Amino acid sequence: MVTKSKLKMALAAEKQIDFKKLKLKKAQKAARKQKAKKAGEGKEEKKVEGEWEDVDGGSDSEDENAEVDEDEEESEAEGPKKIDIEGIDESDSDSSAGENDQEQDDEDDEDEEDIPMSDLEDLDDEEKEDIIPHQRLTINNTVALTAALKRIALPISKLPFSDHQSITTSEKVSIPDVSDDLNRELAFYSQSLSAVKEARKLLKAEGVPFTRPTDYFAEMVKADEHMAKIKAKLISEAASKKASAEARKQRDLKKFGKQVQVAKLQERAKETKQTMEKIKVLKRKRQGADTDATNEADLFDVAVDDEINSAKPSRKDRMGPNKRQKKDAKYGYGGKKRFAKSGDAMSSGDLRGFSAKKMKAGAKQRPGKSRRAGAKR
Amino acid sequence: MASVYKSLSKTDGHKEEDSTNGVKKNKQRVLILSSRGITYRHRHLLNDIASLLPHSRKDAKLDTKSKLYQLNELAELYNCNNVLFFEARKGKDLYLWMSKAPNGPTVKMHMQNLHTMEELHFTGNCLKGSRPILSFDASFDSAPHLRVLKELFLHIFGVPKGARKAKPFIDHVMGFTLADGKIWIRNYQISETEASAVSTSETPGDEKPTVKAREKGKETEISLVEIGPRFVLTPIVIQEGSFGGPIIYENKEFVSPNQIRSEIRQKKAGRYNARAEQSVERLAKKGELGLRTSGGRTKPRDALDTAELFA
Repeated sequence: MVTKSKLKMALAAEKQIDFKKLKLKKAQKAARKQKAKKAGEGKEEKKVEGEWEDVDGGSDSEDENAEVDEDEEESEAEGPKKIDIEGIDESDSDSSAGENDQEQDDEDDEDEEDIPMSDLEDLDDEEKEDIIPHQRLTINNTVALTAALKRIALPISKLPFSDHQSITTSEKVSIPDVSDDLNRELAFYSQSLSAVKEARKLLKAEGVPFTRPTDYFAEMVKADEHMAKIKAKLISEAASKKASAEARKQRDLKKFGKQVQVAKLQERAKETKQTMEKIKVLKRKRQGADTDATNEADLFDVAVDDEINSAKPSRKDRMGPNKRQKKDAKYGYGGKKRFAKSGDAMSSGDLRGFSAKKMKAGAKQRPGKSRRAGAKR
Repeated sequence: MASVYKSLSKTDGHKEEDSTNGVKKNKQRVLILSSRGITYRHRHLLNDIASLLPHSRKDAKLDTKSKLYQLNELAELYNCNNVLFFEARKGKDLYLWMSKAPNGPTVKMHMQNLHTMEELHFTGNCLKGSRPILSFDASFDSAPHLRVLKELFLHIFGVPKGARKAKPFIDHVMGFTLADGKIWIRNYQISETEASAVSTSETPGDEKPTVKAREKGKETEISLVEIGPRFVLTPIVIQEGSFGGPIIYENKEFVSPNQIRSEIRQKKAGRYNARAEQSVERLAKKGELGLRTSGGRTKPRDALDTAELFA
């Protein structure tokens, strides 16, 4: 057990580390002046000094070793103060080997004996600053750690489970990539879940109540208003999700609806076109037959109606004989009226009114002026 | 002196009490407090943790950051044998100290990725002061310093059986996992559902629990719902005493946030220097090759130079 005065001393030691470093630096400076030629190594020393404070990866340890070896040659000339650094550096390089730690512990004890504890207790702060505590920093003092553990450890194996309720997994939880959130959280979840299952078994065996009855109400960690907030958030989240889904659906529908409308319009146009075509065909068929229409069916344009009716019943059925239709048939309807009388390839190719005799004779020649005048008289 | 008396009398009391089973009783009390200069998130986290630990005693912010040994006296004052101390630095970095009050050990850890209950919006909830099940990763047993850490977690986060405000049922579990040299802490609610309801919808892969449920007739399915808070701890240093004493473990892998920040800054600041250096180097190189009119090495006169030929 550590006594109280010892503790205080150690605390002082903790605080004085900087001063120790300063002293060491001074010592080193002196050494450097002695050996002015080795300018480069001075830098290395500085580095070594800092090393136990800053954070290095394990890979550096070999380099440190090399440096330490170099330093050792120097330090022999320098006296006892230098030894501290070496000790630190050695502790750097050695791992948690038990024997080494044991040695250091022993050394620690010796050092502690050097300082009278009573002195430390009564000193004021200013004086405390001047003290150079002989304290060694170890990286991983296994012996001390196990001792500390033994001091505080609960006898878990002897205690009933319900006293500590701790469960350690049988094998290590391996998380290949800690930045992979999903798998990491899954590993944590499964670890806890297995622990809960085991714990429930153990607790039931000990007869400890596990499940909270539904009628047991008590203060919860998260207050009702907090839970209400969470609920509101969940609801709003769900609502926004739903709204966005709805909006997307609507958007798709709109796109599709447009297509439907276009299709419908096209169909309608096609239909009218078809009807017109049929009517035109019929018109052409009976261009000449109109005047001498003796057939009643022809008279009333049944064929047109029939033709149209085959597609779609129309108003024309009910109207009976259609005046307009007749007029249209008579005078023409639709189509362009311009150039109707101008000649075209057909008319110029039409040789019905042509006779060679007429061309040759040229009919009667126009009589001369005197003859025409004589004829007048 | 008083502490010695107290500890002595305590052990005596225990002996009388535990004469029946002959083992030490798990009796813990935790003093929770922070230094000055914590942010609201740190404070909320502290409150969350305090609400999860019915055997804790929350105290006002500690004024000093250098004289942490005062915490021992405070702990003694409040009859606490554990201290959970949140130390904020620079208004952004949070360090968590865990200590066994009268005579150590003390662990200093750096806290990262902290998320309070409030900001996490998890649906889980549990009774205030119900005793948690503590789930530890097996890697905690792999090294002595990790064993010390585990023991401290067990003392501080495990609610002892007879705690004053503890509730009789168990409805949450705390997970401590070691990954990437850091300790990840999660808190889940244990939600039990009727096995019959679940078993119908279950896949054939999960045959085992349903069978068990049928056998026992009343066993329920367990699922977990996270409650929060979440945080990650990086152990830095273990001291032998309580807020003092020799350092018995130091984490070499820990890089202080200050250093990280300064390195980033240095990197940024170094850009101009690197460029300037480069240009100087380039000039020197050109001079060396005799490509500069002034300075550097002058080219030896060539025999075929026009000046030489037509002299």
